[in-house]
Amino acid sequence: MSMMGITDYGATGALEATIRFAGQRQRIIAHNIANISTPDFQSLDVSPIAFQKALSRAVDLRRKAGDSRGLDIPSTRELRKDSSGNLVLRPSTPSGNILGQDRNNSDIERLMQDQTENLMVYRSSIELLRSRSEMMRSALASRV
Amino acid sequence: MYGMLDIAVGGMIAQRTRFEVIQANIANANSLEDADGNFSPYLRRAAMFAPGDPAAKTSSGRQMGVHVVDIQIEANALVKRSMPGHPYADKDGYVTVPDINPVVEQMNAMEASRAYEANIVSAETAKTMLSTALRLLA
Repeated sequence: MSMMGITDYGATGALEATIRFAGQRQRIIAHNIANISTPDFQSLDVSPIAFQKALSRAVDLRRKAGDSRGLDIPSTRELRKDSSGNLVLRPSTPSGNILGQDRNNSDIERLMQDQTENLMVYRSSIELLRSRSEMMRSALASRV
Repeated sequence: MYGMLDIAVGGMIAQRTRFEVIQANIANANSLEDADGNFSPYLRRAAMFAPGDPAAKTSSGRQMGVHVVDIQIEANALVKRSMPGHPYADKDGYVTVPDINPVVEQMNAMEASRAYEANIVSAETAKTMLSTALRLLA
């Protein structure tokens, strides 16, 4: 594998976008957990599946374009990029949960599940990114 | 990766709902009036489970999870107890009271609590599996 192959394999951009997304989503989940006993509170979330679809579309587009520019994630209803390239999430209220006595529709178990899954995605993306940089570092070390 | 915990979490929610129903039964074992102050002995409730969890986010959770389909009110769960002189006593001195056996309710509560723990263990196992896979990958 050439050095270009290691540095420009395309996974780095996708991993970076995933880490940004998971980091932003954690704020929303923390907000939901903080409001677990707030009357009338309706929990907010962004759909990770919609994000993954947007990401895969961006990867497809980049592959078709055939150049090595950065990933351009298309804006969706819940997801857009600001001028500095940061992901901005606009959470919408998921429906379908049962309203509790205080008209709060959060299940603490579901929130914890969301948090655990989000953490797992964050951790695995960081680990994969770290292993890529390790790979690059060892390639450099053995060449010099 | 998303949704691996759906089934265990659905089980936890169902067992917690069941536990809440049992708590309501224990708390209302001596309730004779409804909220408006009319004579209406509390009727024992029971959470009914069914496979599949419509609130789950993934198809495996929707097909294989569990959810509370109904909280049934047992219409005949009433007994007569001899309480002469009670304001709600009939002419023979009997009052119709909720047929709630605290021992049965406690057993059910313990079972719900153990089942909740079992679901937590299953969620922990799912997490460990993900971590192990991650150690293999990265």
